[in-house]
Amino acid sequence: MNQFVQVLLFGLTLGGVYALMASGLTLVFGVMRIVNLAHAIFMILAAYIAYFAFTIYNIDPIISIFITMPVMFFVGIAVYWLFFARIKGTARSGELTVLLTFALALMAEGLLGYFFSNIYRSANPPYATQALHFGPYILSAGQFYATLMSIGLIVLLWAFLKYSRTGYAIRATMQNISAAQVVGVNVERMSMVAFGIGMALAGASGSMMSFLFTFYPGKHWEWIAILLALIVLGGMGSLGGALAGAFILAISSALVGHYYGFTWSPITFFLALFIVLLVRPQGLFGKKMEA
Amino acid sequence: MSETLVSNEVKPIRTTESLKKPSRRQKIFLAVLLMLLVSYPLLQFVVGGLNYWLHMLLYTFMYIAMASSWNIIGGYAGYTSLGHNVFFAVGGYFVGVLLVYFDISPFLTAPLAGLVSMAIGLLVGLISLRTRGPAFIISTIALVMLVKITFDNWDYIGGTNGMTMPPLLDISLDLVKFPFYYYMLIIAIGAVYMSYRIRHSKFGLGLRAISQDEIKAEVAGIPTNYYKILAFGISGLFVGMAGGIWGYYLTYLKPNIFLLIILAAQLVLMTVLGGKGTVAGPVVGAILFIAINEFFVTNLGFTELNIVATGLILALVLIFFPSGIVGSLRERGKLPPFLDWD
Amino acid sequence: MVLLEVDNIRAGYGDGPDILKGLSMEIEQGKTYCIIGPNGAGKSTLLRAICGLLHPREGNVTYKGEILNKLRTDEILRRGISFVPQDRCLFPDMTVKENLRMGGYILRDRKELEDRIEEVLVMFPFLEERGSQQAKTLSGGQQQMLAIGRALVLRPEVIMLDEPSLGLAPKIAQYIFDVIAQLKDAGMTIILVEQNARKGLECADWGCVLDLGINRFEGPANTILNDPRIQELYLGRQKQDRQEKTA
Repeated sequence: MNQFVQVLLFGLTLGGVYALMASGLTLVFGVMRIVNLAHAIFMILAAYIAYFAFTIYNIDPIISIFITMPVMFFVGIAVYWLFFARIKGTARSGELTVLLTFALALMAEGLLGYFFSNIYRSANPPYATQALHFGPYILSAGQFYATLMSIGLIVLLWAFLKYSRTGYAIRATMQNISAAQVVGVNVERMSMVAFGIGMALAGASGSMMSFLFTFYPGKHWEWIAILLALIVLGGMGSLGGALAGAFILAISSALVGHYYGFTWSPITFFLALFIVLLVRPQGLFGKKMEA
Repeated sequence: MSETLVSNEVKPIRTTESLKKPSRRQKIFLAVLLMLLVSYPLLQFVVGGLNYWLHMLLYTFMYIAMASSWNIIGGYAGYTSLGHNVFFAVGGYFVGVLLVYFDISPFLTAPLAGLVSMAIGLLVGLISLRTRGPAFIISTIALVMLVKITFDNWDYIGGTNGMTMPPLLDISLDLVKFPFYYYMLIIAIGAVYMSYRIRHSKFGLGLRAISQDEIKAEVAGIPTNYYKILAFGISGLFVGMAGGIWGYYLTYLKPNIFLLIILAAQLVLMTVLGGKGTVAGPVVGAILFIAINEFFVTNLGFTELNIVATGLILALVLIFFPSGIVGSLRERGKLPPFLDWD
Repeated sequence: MVLLEVDNIRAGYGDGPDILKGLSMEIEQGKTYCIIGPNGAGKSTLLRAICGLLHPREGNVTYKGEILNKLRTDEILRRGISFVPQDRCLFPDMTVKENLRMGGYILRDRKELEDRIEEVLVMFPFLEERGSQQAKTLSGGQQQMLAIGRALVLRPEVIMLDEPSLGLAPKIAQYIFDVIAQLKDAGMTIILVEQNARKGLECADWGCVLDLGINRFEGPANTILNDPRIQELYLGRQKQDRQEKTA
């Protein structure tokens, strides 16, 4: 069996999950033009929900998306209404809003830490430890199913954006916010909806995370840093870019991990980020950033 | 093409924020303050048992220095850095390595550590300041992660276990905090003075222009790239120095301590609370933050609620008082002279 | 009949100063109005204040007797006023057809939307040809056509155009003015803001000169066009055929 292909497959099955995580983040950026630094802690919140659903009620983590997604959607709407709607009108709201997401992340991290403490947790459905055999190659069953589900959700997202009326409105807002206003799109409401959807995607991501990785509140900084690297590579605001970035970096980090040791694999993301910034700041598919 | 409903009007630089020379009263205030701070430790010989306060004060001086430094890139230039702990860590480790492996006193090497931090800031700035807005913030987060992983895996400096450093041995318990106290005081004075000088310089004016509208600033002939990178580098100078001294004070260095994002959060909060972009703001913010933090810690203990409180206060300030204390007071015309150094 | 009335409005952006400082205007049904004036006079601001992108701080905008001040853009669109902003304002990654569909965003009825899009495609056949092309791949003139077409999907009573000829070569700009003339013939009420003041006034019934936030001069377009004072102040001397000396 080819080592390289094995590692490649490993990276591919991780890429799907990363893509799901990044998609919510990039959607929010595309519509609201802000980087939501709290995205990862909300993923972890969802992971806790999935974890307790599993340990207490025996609900399969992958199935738990039917709980985490709606819950996180409404959490997103509430957060938007409570925090972002209040700053919207003021000048220089962009920078302020990013700092606000930072504050939000801190609050959420503190609360989660207070209630659930910093114990490492991980859900253990049976497939988390099983392996699937594809010819000579071995794949982690959990990762495989998670990636399938993630890709499925991404396809749903894509279809929603492409064909539904709200999807049109969201895409319009992402492409040209003035034009969207002119044709009668309620941009404020679209931002709120987009944020809710972004959170719902974080919810699904959290469900996957609950059994794929060990998690605890403080870990979210590592995650947000990774996700940010993904979307910068792919081009901020571009969903296709987020996908591309996710797969490229998942595979790269798997390769690095295999050949240099697993403690070094996270560094792939951050090195890649700096290289992208150096060579092509707008990422693979992004547009030139405006101030 | 305007991106928002409301066009991004450049706020006019208010003429009341004139770059005036400090008045006699202000100078006297400073002189008195300085005398008090310098002579305070001497009370140790009179009253004794002041180690707790010496600790709190030098801790405050350190944060004053760091917040004032952060303000240069985060406040004056408007580029939020969430990676300033890197400067702190680099400073700490640089000093630590020189002490542990080469036996050179941190009090000598700290300024050098500051310069090393500054150099790193300039180098990193060259890459990450090619972008505007959010991409920069992201790159600072990535920088912290990068450095943390590197330090975690670097055996020469102890990896995740870090390094322990020999403490100052031949000094009595009464006097042991003295050198740290004075050194941090000097660092704080240096940082605040630098912040003041930058504010009242062409460089500072250029940075403010960049923070308001970078494109227009560039069109107006300001060398934005050069200024931004310089600001980022300079903002690392005193932070690196402080890191070097702090590591020595703690007698140990660990990536976990230095490279937690919560430190960056605290710097942001202090500066925003006090007033981003002002000279007195970071000082006020640092003092206030440490006071509030001490209050919470003594009453609530070291729980996660501290993090919640930090986030909550930051959120409230951002929503209701985005200009911070000094900024809001100035806007209402009620800024007392001892806070008015802009 | 007076369709739209702007009564002494003051308006500005954010916390900024008033750009419109007590502007009044009356728009009659079926007529074409051309608004000219120097930069910063408030021409775009006026259009935005009418269509709901900006809310007047003082004074009223009244349409068919109803005050529009506090309404949202989509509500004003529903009442029959469409706006084509400067710079085309299209959705670059969407196709021509999708852009048109967005023009009818507030229509909930699928069938009706399709019908309206058909109408617009009949009027601009080349848009039909390029139906599946992305908007960003069109030329400047084509993009302007698309922008106008998009505004027409809702069959508005009043259409407002902010500098439609901006950045277009004269030949193509002429084509745009021909389209405007077509709309005029079809009975539409048109408000035109134009930097190319001569061309704009030539296809209008009535002209308004905006300066410093108020309506400084107004009158029949012809009169404005030929008024020497206005020519000197706002139109620049005519250099047609190198023969004309100003009267």
